[in-house]
Amino acid sequence: MTPLLQVRNIKTYFHTQDGVVKAVDGVSYDVERGETIALVGESGCGKTVSALSILRLVAEPAGKIMSGEILFDKVDLLKLSDEEMRKMRGAKISIIFQEPLTSLNPVLTIGRQISEGLEFHKNMSVPEGMQEATRLLKLVGIPHPERRVYDYPHQFSGGMRQRAMIAIAIACQPQLIIADEPTTVVDVTIQAQLLELIKNITKEHNTSLILITHNLGIVARYAKRVFVMYAGNIVEYGSAMDVYHSPCHPYTAGLLASVPRLDEPRKTRLQPIEGQPPDLIAPPMGCSFQDRCGYCIGECQKETPHLSEVTPNHYAACCVSQKGSRQWQKSS
Amino acid sequence: MGRFIVRRILWLFLVLFVVLLITFVLMHLVPGGPWDREKALAPKVVEALNKRYGLDLPLWRQFVNYVWGVLHGDLGISYSYSDRTVTSILLHGLPKTATLGILAFVFAQAIGIPFGVAAALKQNSAIDYTSVLFSTIFASIPGFVLGILLMVIFSVVLHWLPTSGWGSPQQIIMPVICLAALPAAQSSRITRASTLEVMHQDYVRTARSKGILESSVRIRHIFRNSLIPVVTVAGPVLADLITGSFIIENLFAIPGVGRIFVQGIFSRDYTLIMGGVLFYAFTIALLNLVVDILYAAIDPRIRYE
Amino acid sequence: MAIAIKSTKAFERPHHSLWGDAIVRLRRNYFAMIGLGFIVLLAIAAICAPLITHYGFADQHLTEILQGPSWKHWMGTDQLGRDTFARLLYGARTSLAVGIFTQFIVICIGLPVGASAGYMGGRVDNYIMRFVDIMYAFPDILLIILLRSVLGGSIYMLFLAIGLVGWVNIARLVRGQIMSLKSRDYISAAKAMGGMGRYITWRHLLPNSLGPIIVSVTFNVPRAIFTEAALSYIGIGVKPPTPSWGAMIQDGFNLIFSKPYMLLFPAIALALLMLAFTFLGDGLRDALDPKLRR
Repeated sequence: MTPLLQVRNIKTYFHTQDGVVKAVDGVSYDVERGETIALVGESGCGKTVSALSILRLVAEPAGKIMSGEILFDKVDLLKLSDEEMRKMRGAKISIIFQEPLTSLNPVLTIGRQISEGLEFHKNMSVPEGMQEATRLLKLVGIPHPERRVYDYPHQFSGGMRQRAMIAIAIACQPQLIIADEPTTVVDVTIQAQLLELIKNITKEHNTSLILITHNLGIVARYAKRVFVMYAGNIVEYGSAMDVYHSPCHPYTAGLLASVPRLDEPRKTRLQPIEGQPPDLIAPPMGCSFQDRCGYCIGECQKETPHLSEVTPNHYAACCVSQKGSRQWQKSS
Repeated sequence: MGRFIVRRILWLFLVLFVVLLITFVLMHLVPGGPWDREKALAPKVVEALNKRYGLDLPLWRQFVNYVWGVLHGDLGISYSYSDRTVTSILLHGLPKTATLGILAFVFAQAIGIPFGVAAALKQNSAIDYTSVLFSTIFASIPGFVLGILLMVIFSVVLHWLPTSGWGSPQQIIMPVICLAALPAAQSSRITRASTLEVMHQDYVRTARSKGILESSVRIRHIFRNSLIPVVTVAGPVLADLITGSFIIENLFAIPGVGRIFVQGIFSRDYTLIMGGVLFYAFTIALLNLVVDILYAAIDPRIRYE
Repeated sequence: MAIAIKSTKAFERPHHSLWGDAIVRLRRNYFAMIGLGFIVLLAIAAICAPLITHYGFADQHLTEILQGPSWKHWMGTDQLGRDTFARLLYGARTSLAVGIFTQFIVICIGLPVGASAGYMGGRVDNYIMRFVDIMYAFPDILLIILLRSVLGGSIYMLFLAIGLVGWVNIARLVRGQIMSLKSRDYISAAKAMGGMGRYITWRHLLPNSLGPIIVSVTFNVPRAIFTEAALSYIGIGVKPPTPSWGAMIQDGFNLIFSKPYMLLFPAIALALLMLAFTFLGDGLRDALDPKLRR
């Protein structure tokens, strides 16, 4: 079965006054139908940009997708005309943005913002669209939807706004939803509710989901496969189980180690990964993680490691790992 | 919303009262009086005139009488034109001033807003640069200087247009352009700046991600938001328009309220001065009120405060 | 299980202070630099007027009235035989003086009033803002005319009249700035470290409010200059024989059909000066906008 989405070697660069920022530098991943994958990494690693690239929403003229292919249902999205791409957005692929505060138009009612897509893709009239919007608001768990549908964004709380964003994304029943840090701006209890909501919706309609996050806790629960990004590249991927239990890249291990845990004694110090991500305008030669890696060997500075299979269906881009030693893993 | 309007109207009356008070005080601080002529009048005559017009009463009494009169729509009798009431004089000039103002305002927005929008949407293009250049130039050159330049070109050199009077299209066109130049430039700049800012907002990206037509994105998402600041500054813009009209009227010898008012100041015509100030202050305050209401109507965030 | 600590070498980007960065950006803005250049040039010419032209602004040469531009009188003479170029140069002194002194008054009144209103808030703020609202309702030209009639004809009173009407904008601006900055986090930090009222105002609030204030003053100067010209045109600005571009415009107006250049010289000079200040003001505003920092 061909995957629904195939991102092949995408390179998205930003041309700025200081130079060319290689935000996404050769990234590939697949999503099967009905599958949920997670794209993890710290801020600035390029995960959002790669998602925006799929929808061709990268901010022009500074940003441009330089090369690569994005195959959706075997059609290369990058070769579509603007008109055809517009028909895809919202209808086949939709995105839930990170900041519900600024991602909603302050002068339009919530209902109208939900029904807009329906008016365009499903040819509904405004009243029909509003009715459907009411139904969707109910689905995402907003109380009194028939009244709320005429409210404005500033009358909604943060969590409710995020639910409204979800409603907008699922309105036209897309085949793929991209959720960009859907829970970062809400508090923990709401986080859980929103994620369950998204999970139920995707299950019911067999929708594929790309979950972009830096929160490793939720990844484990919701995603089948995990892709770890660092400095514009994918450095490790595999099933969630494999990546969590036996990370094959020092960065992944570092990420996992930095999550505070309730079951460790309180006096245990937090373990951040020291240092900063590299400059994406002039990345260092060799492995991009070398400056922060504790397991760096000579080769790491000479060649950029490529993704290769270290254990079945588990890939990593690390010279040390490929040689077989993985000191960072817990011996268990 | 209703309470908001009522409160604002009450505030308007208070403001007008204070304005009148300050004007009254200032006027009476000015040396000289309404009877000063080239040749001084006999003291007995002056005394009689003062008595007739109530100028011998204590100042506070004069003021109270005046305010009482105003509340009944009576603005007194002009001292210079002793057979006419101030109200009638002002009303005589009002249509011309009003027409000038309204035409200038409409013209200014009709030119300024589209240029500003076009400049923002096609940033760094020829339209953008010309729009910015022209709006900067016309925002800095005051209407009266522009008027002089236009007059020299079109009246003196080309003999196409007359330099004064009011009534025919040829007479109207230059004053209107001069008065409209500044607000047009301001609107253009504000619209451009605001559209640029709105264009890069997250919600515009969300709108595009829904796959709707680009024209819908522009109208419903970009413009509906970017035109709000234009309305917000409409208040001061209109105030500038009104004070500007008074100078333009003097330049082009248009018999509107402005000219009458200036003559009144020179001849110390107390009632005419008070009437003029009241007229201008009232108009500005009323227009500000309308602008505030309009603003609340378009921006739902304000409505619910 | 630990990741061994490695180098924390962050990549280097040059560090600029807000002011240094602003000056760099301002320098790059051609129009602003042209504006600044024009103003400086005019100021120097005005100050050195006696060195540039041997004619005084009041010297009447009654045998040479209403002449066109010539080698002897570069811009011609007016109806009293006075050299137009000289009057233009000395008139520049008037205009620039008006611009500077009125703003000085505006800042002296507006800054403390706005700062007090902004910092103290509450009832003080309320009363001050009500007063400001009332002043706003007054059409400014009218108030200036009235004040002028009251305060008398000297040029210093003219500065005072214009200044007394113009401080309102600055006060509002300063108040707005201080109020928005007051609630920002770094002020809480300063307070947490024990800073007291006046210290906070001076060291933290004012420097950060300075940007928009500078820009506003730069835009106010041409308005003041224009006001003086307009008043002189109507006849209640500076008294002759003090030269003023506005008065020159009034004189020239009567001869518009016969000798249009008499009008044109002062009108164009006024236009150029105001343009120069606007370009400069725009440039300053862009340079000081922290959002445009790299």
